[in-house]
Amino acid sequence: MGSMHYRRLPNVRRDGPDSRFATALRGLAVDRRDRIYAVGDAEVKIFDRDGRLQRRWPTSRPGCSVAVDEYDRVYVGETGQLEIFDATGRLADVWRHASRLGRVTAIDFAGGDVLVGDANDRAIRRYDEHGSFMNDIGKNNRMQGFLIPNGVIEFAVDRAGVIQAANPGKHRIERYTLDDRLLGHIGRFDGVDPAGFPGCCNPTNLAVDVRGRIYVTEKADPRVKVYNDDGTLVAVVASEGFDPNCKNMDIAVDSRGRVYVTDPVRLDILAFETEGAAS
Amino acid sequence: MTSRAPRSVRLLAAAVLAGVLSGAHVAAQAIQYERPVQVAPQQETIGGGYVTPDVQRPRPREYWLQVADVGLLAVAMALAVWFVIERRSRAWTLTLTAASLAYFGFYRQGCICPIGSIQNVAVALTDSTYSIPMVVTAVFFMPLVVALFVGRAFCGSVCPLGAMQELVVLKPIQVPRRLDNALGLLKYVYLALAIGLAIRPEIARDFVICRFDPFVGFFRREGFAHMMAIGAGFLVLGTVVGRPYCRYLCPYGGLLSWCSRLATRGVTITPAKELDCGLCAKACPYGAIDRMRAVRKECLYCARCYASCPCEATPGVAV
Amino acid sequence: MSDGITRRDALGRVVRGTVLLGLGSTAGFLINKAEGQVVWQVDTSRCVNSRLGEAGAEVCMLCTTQCVVAQSAVRAINSFRDCGRCYVCPAYYNIRSAVDERGLPSEKLCPRDAIRRTPIGFVDPEDPANNFYEYVIEEEKCDGCGLCVKACREPLGLGSIVLKVRHNLCVDCNRCAISIACPHDALFQHKVADALEPTLARQPQP
Repeated sequence: MGSMHYRRLPNVRRDGPDSRFATALRGLAVDRRDRIYAVGDAEVKIFDRDGRLQRRWPTSRPGCSVAVDEYDRVYVGETGQLEIFDATGRLADVWRHASRLGRVTAIDFAGGDVLVGDANDRAIRRYDEHGSFMNDIGKNNRMQGFLIPNGVIEFAVDRAGVIQAANPGKHRIERYTLDDRLLGHIGRFDGVDPAGFPGCCNPTNLAVDVRGRIYVTEKADPRVKVYNDDGTLVAVVASEGFDPNCKNMDIAVDSRGRVYVTDPVRLDILAFETEGAAS
Repeated sequence: MTSRAPRSVRLLAAAVLAGVLSGAHVAAQAIQYERPVQVAPQQETIGGGYVTPDVQRPRPREYWLQVADVGLLAVAMALAVWFVIERRSRAWTLTLTAASLAYFGFYRQGCICPIGSIQNVAVALTDSTYSIPMVVTAVFFMPLVVALFVGRAFCGSVCPLGAMQELVVLKPIQVPRRLDNALGLLKYVYLALAIGLAIRPEIARDFVICRFDPFVGFFRREGFAHMMAIGAGFLVLGTVVGRPYCRYLCPYGGLLSWCSRLATRGVTITPAKELDCGLCAKACPYGAIDRMRAVRKECLYCARCYASCPCEATPGVAV
Repeated sequence: MSDGITRRDALGRVVRGTVLLGLGSTAGFLINKAEGQVVWQVDTSRCVNSRLGEAGAEVCMLCTTQCVVAQSAVRAINSFRDCGRCYVCPAYYNIRSAVDERGLPSEKLCPRDAIRRTPIGFVDPEDPANNFYEYVIEEEKCDGCGLCVKACREPLGLGSIVLKVRHNLCVDCNRCAISIACPHDALFQHKVADALEPTLARQPQP
């Protein structure tokens, strides 16, 4: 294991009723300016880098995932549709695609294209910036998609434009090109060694930072870990602090290396940073 | 006085903490994981000709078989009455006893049981949300109705618990009348206790008769050690004291005993044919012949008195 | 003398008639209330082994130890409709045991080895992780200890394995011995038709 150690910071604030989620907290993202975007209930909430609520607006359906592009447009994945808002919260566009946008549990961008995870069909969809469908990713195999007994599909695009997708049923993180070529995978099952993924199906969620490190969350028991691009474990960010019943804890990393993780049971956003980092 | 305030503060804090913790516990229990997507792969996805197997769902004993058991119970009681009152035959009664033990005891494993159903009936009468199947109602009431007219025919050669003890009576001693009467009251205490425990709120309900059923462990040929021990104890005691469970503990015996006081017919020591020899009273292991007269509420329909009677054995000898 | 006997007979007849009427009306009341055939069944939403939100709790084995039938009439079933068919099933493997050379846990969870694991569908011989697996519980071996039920429960599994009373084995006690012992009041009497369902709760979930 690497020498990095993480410490827990105070949770992203939920002082005042507006900053709190009432029934659900599902998606988390961080933008270029390290603002934190969280979706749940039927609302987007934006917190500044110190965790103060800055802005909130309603979505037409409960959000499952969120992402922010380089123009600060906010993409909210919902059941059956994708809503796109401008930075002020004005609805700019809605994408619906009956056969291809089921429950959208992950969104990311690659060179102008929008990648969307559809948990219903267990595949990643590639759309161009105008919302025209281009191709499926991860569906062309024996299992006809990713194995997700946990019910969400999760991926992130690294700086090199490679899709890092969680395949929890196989205990792997698979790498795909935009045109659906499987480059390889990292990870293996292990219930004892923290370098492996335990349980029936892990990792459930992941995020990638600017250096190409992969941050993953696991369920039962809840755990947050960091891997190098080659699959070596860098650090265990946290293995406590979450409700033990958590599953599908979404994760995001900001430019300072701070790690934000949702606790979907207690409806909290936990924050961690490396020891010695200036806070 | 100075220490009291901080202590109460501490207590309050502890109470609040406990409340918070228990609240958190409740919240954790209320988790309902959402299943927005079909996460379990179905046969279309799995492919390769795979067909999702059915979950095995074994059905309980057929209803008509249960009704048939009620019918058999009625037939057995009718036969018991006929063998004892009309035929006055110990041999036939013994045969029926063995048959009842084999069927209701070892085959049906003691599970057409009016004794235990006292508790179910008590609960069904007091709890509006609880009901019992018609079969149980029938099993509970039929022997009582029979007892109202002809006495404890059920006890004699139908009840498997009674049959079990009936067959081990070897050298019965006559329990002194007073002791017998005093011990006989135990069954009413047990009855009251069993009803009292059964009609408590659902979570605290206890069916004590079933928990301490002496012979069901033998019928099933498996069971808890304490049940087996109680059963073995009663069987050993039963060799010298006739049917100790029936006479002193059986709560249903208590109910039957009440009903049988009103019976118009039953085992009779016929005054007209009597020899005053007292052989019948000696033959009765249950102390049910008092001053040369059969006591209906105690008579367990075993027909031993007839077997011992010289008049019965050789008709025409009397007078 | 004969007059006295007649009066006693008449009195007896009245009392007997009254008692008979009482018994009859009580029986009538109960029959009116009767719901037909009922059987004992496990309420999966109350059973502490399958109830959600019980992470970390010890497995409850009262169904195994309290049933009057030697090898308990309560057995685990896998509802195939809900099974994730995972490569590493936490109910089949002891997922906390060391990994063997195949990359799978070296120990099984079931102490009686009552679960059978078979790859299904288009089987990939090269990559075992690339398959769906069927987990079948062999009823004859199972004694209802609940280890697999607890391991399969969410969030670790999908909760497809639950404890159920097998009505062909249950002897239908007046008062189920397990229900007396169960601290969560998870055993209750239910109409036959519904009691055969794999997921059964006393109050239907909204």
